[in-house]
Amino acid sequence: MVGFVKSVRGGDGNDSPKLAPDVPPAAKRPQSVSAETSRYLFAVVRSRYTAYHASSASDGSRDVSEMDSSDSPGTTVAFATTHSSWSRRDFIKGVIASGVSVSGMSYFGAGCTTPLPAQTGGVERLLSLTVNGQVRRVDVLPGETLAMTLRYKLGLTGTKLGCDRGECGACTVLIDDVNYYSCSTLTHRVRDREITTVEGLESPDGTLHPVQQAFVDELGPQCGFCTSGQVMSAVALLRANPNPTRQEAREAMAGNLCRCGAYDHYLNGVMRAVSEA
Amino acid sequence: MMKDMMSGFELYQPADVDDAIQLIDRYGNRGWKLAGGYDSLDWFKNRGKGPEAVIDLEGLDALKGIRETTDGVEIGALTTLTEVERSPLLRDRYGLLADAARRVASPQIRNAGTLGGNLSQDTRCWYYRYGVDCYRAGGNTCYAAAPEAMNREHALFGASRCVAVTPSDTAPALVALDAEMVVRNARGERVIPAADFFMEPSVDIQRMTVLDPDDLLTAIRLPASWAGADFYFEKVADRKSWDFALVSVAAAFRTSGAQIDEASIVCGAVQCIPRRLHDVEVLISGRTRNEETAALAGAEAIRGAEPLDYNHFKIPLMENLVKRAVRG
Amino acid sequence: MADLLGKDYAPPDIYGKVTGRAKYAEDFRRDGMLFCRLLKSPMPHCRVRGVDATAALAMDGVVAILRADEVPEQAGPANNILTDEPHFVGEPILAVAAVTETIAQDAIDAIVLDLEPLPFCVDPLESLRPGGPNARTDGNTVVSGEVQERKWTEEDFAAAGEGQLPMGEPGTEWSYGDIDAGFAEASIILDETFVTAGTSHHSMEPRTAMAYWENGKCYLHASTQSQSFVHPGIAAYIGIEPEDLVYIAEYCGGGFGSKGGPYPLLSIPAHMSRKVQKPVLMRISRSEEYFLGSARPGFQGRIKMGFRDDGRITAIDVYIVQENGPNQGGGDMNAAASAISIVYTPLNMRYRGMSVLTNTPPRGAQRGPGQNQMATAVEPLLDKAAKQLGLDQVAIRHINAPTHESLYGSNRSGITSAYMREALEQGAERFGWEERRARSGERNGSKVRGVGVGQAFHSAGASGFDGLVVLTPEGKLNIHSGVGNLGTYSYSTTSRVAAEVLKCDWENCEIVRGDSSRGLPWTLGQFGSNTSFTMTRTNFAAANDAVRKLKEIAARRLGGSASDYDIGNETVFARGNPGRRLTYAQAAQAAIEIGGEYSGHEVPDDINALTRRAVAGLAGTGLIGVARDNLPQTGMVPALAAGFIEIELDMETGGIEILDYLGVADCGTVLHPQGLSTQIKGGGVMGFGMAISERHVYDRHWGLPAAVGFYQAKPLSYLDVPSEMDWHAVDEPDPNNPVGSKGIGEPVMGCSAAALLCAISDALGGHYFNRIPVMADMIINVASERSQSHGPLQVNTQ
Repeated sequence: MVGFVKSVRGGDGNDSPKLAPDVPPAAKRPQSVSAETSRYLFAVVRSRYTAYHASSASDGSRDVSEMDSSDSPGTTVAFATTHSSWSRRDFIKGVIASGVSVSGMSYFGAGCTTPLPAQTGGVERLLSLTVNGQVRRVDVLPGETLAMTLRYKLGLTGTKLGCDRGECGACTVLIDDVNYYSCSTLTHRVRDREITTVEGLESPDGTLHPVQQAFVDELGPQCGFCTSGQVMSAVALLRANPNPTRQEAREAMAGNLCRCGAYDHYLNGVMRAVSEA
Repeated sequence: MMKDMMSGFELYQPADVDDAIQLIDRYGNRGWKLAGGYDSLDWFKNRGKGPEAVIDLEGLDALKGIRETTDGVEIGALTTLTEVERSPLLRDRYGLLADAARRVASPQIRNAGTLGGNLSQDTRCWYYRYGVDCYRAGGNTCYAAAPEAMNREHALFGASRCVAVTPSDTAPALVALDAEMVVRNARGERVIPAADFFMEPSVDIQRMTVLDPDDLLTAIRLPASWAGADFYFEKVADRKSWDFALVSVAAAFRTSGAQIDEASIVCGAVQCIPRRLHDVEVLISGRTRNEETAALAGAEAIRGAEPLDYNHFKIPLMENLVKRAVRG
Repeated sequence: MADLLGKDYAPPDIYGKVTGRAKYAEDFRRDGMLFCRLLKSPMPHCRVRGVDATAALAMDGVVAILRADEVPEQAGPANNILTDEPHFVGEPILAVAAVTETIAQDAIDAIVLDLEPLPFCVDPLESLRPGGPNARTDGNTVVSGEVQERKWTEEDFAAAGEGQLPMGEPGTEWSYGDIDAGFAEASIILDETFVTAGTSHHSMEPRTAMAYWENGKCYLHASTQSQSFVHPGIAAYIGIEPEDLVYIAEYCGGGFGSKGGPYPLLSIPAHMSRKVQKPVLMRISRSEEYFLGSARPGFQGRIKMGFRDDGRITAIDVYIVQENGPNQGGGDMNAAASAISIVYTPLNMRYRGMSVLTNTPPRGAQRGPGQNQMATAVEPLLDKAAKQLGLDQVAIRHINAPTHESLYGSNRSGITSAYMREALEQGAERFGWEERRARSGERNGSKVRGVGVGQAFHSAGASGFDGLVVLTPEGKLNIHSGVGNLGTYSYSTTSRVAAEVLKCDWENCEIVRGDSSRGLPWTLGQFGSNTSFTMTRTNFAAANDAVRKLKEIAARRLGGSASDYDIGNETVFARGNPGRRLTYAQAAQAAIEIGGEYSGHEVPDDINALTRRAVAGLAGTGLIGVARDNLPQTGMVPALAAGFIEIELDMETGGIEILDYLGVADCGTVLHPQGLSTQIKGGGVMGFGMAISERHVYDRHWGLPAAVGFYQAKPLSYLDVPSEMDWHAVDEPDPNNPVGSKGIGEPVMGCSAAALLCAISDALGGHYFNRIPVMADMIINVASERSQSHGPLQVNTQ
């Protein structure tokens, strides 16, 4: 077995990492030649680019000449092909022939990353959040998003992560009655604000919020994954504008994707909630 | 390739502009200014950017709000796009900007996103966002202009090693309005005309604006010169929400009857910076605002366009949008 | 009867959806749960020669790394769990478990791979050229489950003509009639090349999974459309017996075909959990969903169609090159050909197909797999022919539409019912087609009106699966559903058939589902528009078994013979003497006492092993109704749909405003009007996206996908589709179904896509793109008389 396993630090009382015996010793491990090969790859592209922009390629030419002087001998054969009529197939054959490998991490250049700081310099990690009318104490990392805090620290999994990029709206929550994408809001930002999630809409006696009831009545949800967010955007709309037109509702809901395409039914639900509120 | 998990950073939440400036100064290019945060967090999660410290500007109430000045209007850089979109003052006198703000992404993004952030956002070239080591990312090539590249969304003008375009909806409107950017750093304050605010790749390929790492955009000033003018804003995108312009146009006109006295026309998403169409403005000044003038303007607008393999449709689209703006 | 069918009601799981209580795979937590992330291939095709994980393993909080050789190897071109020879960008190479996701990602960033790049290909025609690259080292096509290499000749390519699909030796073909004679009979012949994009599924819930082991059993929470159907396959991916798997999938946040069957990815947390002896959650991100989720196969095709003066199609000769991803992929091209045979009923037909592997995401079924691509390709061409023949667009469809006597596919098998003509007639009437058609081409400034009608089909039902109900001593009816929960509510609506047969108050029924340990029968999965037909039959069969047992128990306890008894008001009573009766609760108690088949201690011979195990777990809890659906099925069950649309197209911006849309369904008897409405409209929305916005773009040089976020891949939202849409159903019963029902989910998408494309061409005065999606840039290029940027046969450009 080539896999690796080690104990969790502090997990079972054994703090020293134990490597599986079949891990190859360091000397036998594949030598990473990522620096050379990534340069090699990009030399290819640069030279093509230079040819393509021959009339205005002073930068490109300079790059290529730099490459020529610094490239490793192991790649020069393949590199030569880049100056002639180059094609992808030639390139791949060339790579295979010259035995060059490429680091997966640097194939397209790694983004810069910084290690987790030993301590957070700015904010106090322990904070109080007001969620659905309750004050909750919670330890929050500086880069933690509200969606993560709600879902993984407070157990409020009604808020969904559909994209984690502020695109789909499944994570929509209210912050002081305004709808936001919680996946793209730092939790530390909402310390002194009122947060409402889908779990906070029902009355204490279990009566559904008018929007929730209207979504039931109009069969708004299909798969249901976007529904929490649709509910929250509809509630935000009604709190800001209790009597919207259908067109206003449509625009207010436009930040909530539904792949099932239930937009018509959701809008029917919003308008029903308006008329029954 | 996207990574999906943020690296750690230190988070500062100053409540005072001077404190913020100090922090920004201290961290320089190791720090990151967080406004609305939606695009910033995207970068962090992808690990395309990994600042040591994030300075959250949200607490800087002094940089929020829209107020009248003796010569126009000043908008705090941290004013949300929703406020810009809904401000009665802006709707009344600078409807161009309100219209542009209204076309940004989605309601949730406009609720969090700020005017300053929208102006300063990074380009959406998909190669760059994918994480390739292109010129803009500090590498030594442009993937988007390579022979087989997919560059439907890319530039018609001003390409210089990089063919990415400005993604901002509000930037063209602000350039058209001759806005000024108020910028502060530890050494003081300076005012930059919108036309000089955006960075050409030929000057600095790794930046979208002239802001230095230690600079803080504090306000956007709209001079009275274009207040209450005839405005036209249109954004053409593949989707009507949460999408970036294929081409956009922002225009302002001063007219006497049917005659155009003065015009300001800017296109978005055709160049790395908002493209002010000075030649068109000169050409149509003094002419009657009609179909014929519109056609002249459209034809002039696209002069010098250099399409890539997949974006030549932007030429007629840009021509049409300029025509529509002039046509009114 | 309980009178439940044909009525709107609140399905039981909808409350969980509107309150956030519905639990999807990522909503489960276990003590000590670790997080797992994937190291994915940065290259479209490569070999992993080495992995240096020293630094990663040295990190605090990193627990384990799982490699490809620790998980069951998948044979031949099957989709891998993990692999050391990735065949597409984003294919998982290894997994890392850590105490946090951040640490898992940090570890992945610290792993150094030694990769050997291998040839790759993202365009089937490039691969078919002599000397062209193969997506796999052993070939470029899959024949009978085996990878083979197929190349066409230079002559094949030369013979095609500019911009037309070359047609070398096909991988598969069939025909009926005599196409040469058919074309000879035709008044006009169209010969057209087309391209359809292979778009992603964009399910809102990424395919996240969480697993843990307890007492030798694996507990897995994952996102699948289906429940029982996926169970054996998932167990196989984990490498355990089905009885050692507890599979929980109460909710699925969208699948659209991509989660219909078992898929290998969901076994990774199970393998990792076994390795580290802790629960493991593997969250899948949105970009990962695009990289490694699934996609519809794309087509490069050519179709020759002959028409008589009256519009009747005399012959169709179709050739489809299918872009199939790197693995086994989908059978879309074959389904597409069969769809042609039934939607257009050509008098003579030939189909040839060639499925080609590419280094793009694994392909699989997506809503209307094959049928919907075909609808987008053929329907605009019907309009082209209608224009040449001076016929109305509806009329040319009507004359070619299937009837009950029409035959299907290469086998020329019979069908159960077809009401496409009625759908077209009723739809045209309801939509005001004549009036709207008269407005076609009207200009309003830069905007021009266009109208369109589209049709689509999917086979919509199967038979031979098991049903299971339990009457409890408390007097409740538990309807055990193994079908899954895709989000259509059909699991629930079809369960109402059991309540109807047993004349039970719906409030007194519970649908037992979502967790294999609760005793779920073997059924087909929730895909292929089959649930309404298939599951009404299984529930009908199981409920009738319960009725029989009720009567027999009554006869045993109260005297007489079973035939003396009837049921009503949740009692079984003697006909003519209603006072001689047992309540269902009493009968259930009696069943437990009598034992044997009544209590589930004996089961019919013909039920599936999985059902058998389910019943074994329930035996002695009440009166068990269990049966295989042995009702007759006399033919293929066609679901048919027609869409009508009116648009305004802006010639200056390429913008499209959909003014009105009507979807019409032939789905047999309507069981749940609201559910049908939302299928028709939601399918309509998805079809619009297929027609004009959803992108699948690849950089050919690097093999990189450009559309890995929603804003890049562009599924449509509120403002892109009409605020209100209309729907209608023919509502004629299918004779092969006990309640008259057939499925409908898939064709309601294809017909809207087709209708929209037809309307765009109509607005452009008869310009046919022969390609999807038709995006703004393409419309602008036509409107401004410019050439298109993409070549006619180029794929992955839009």
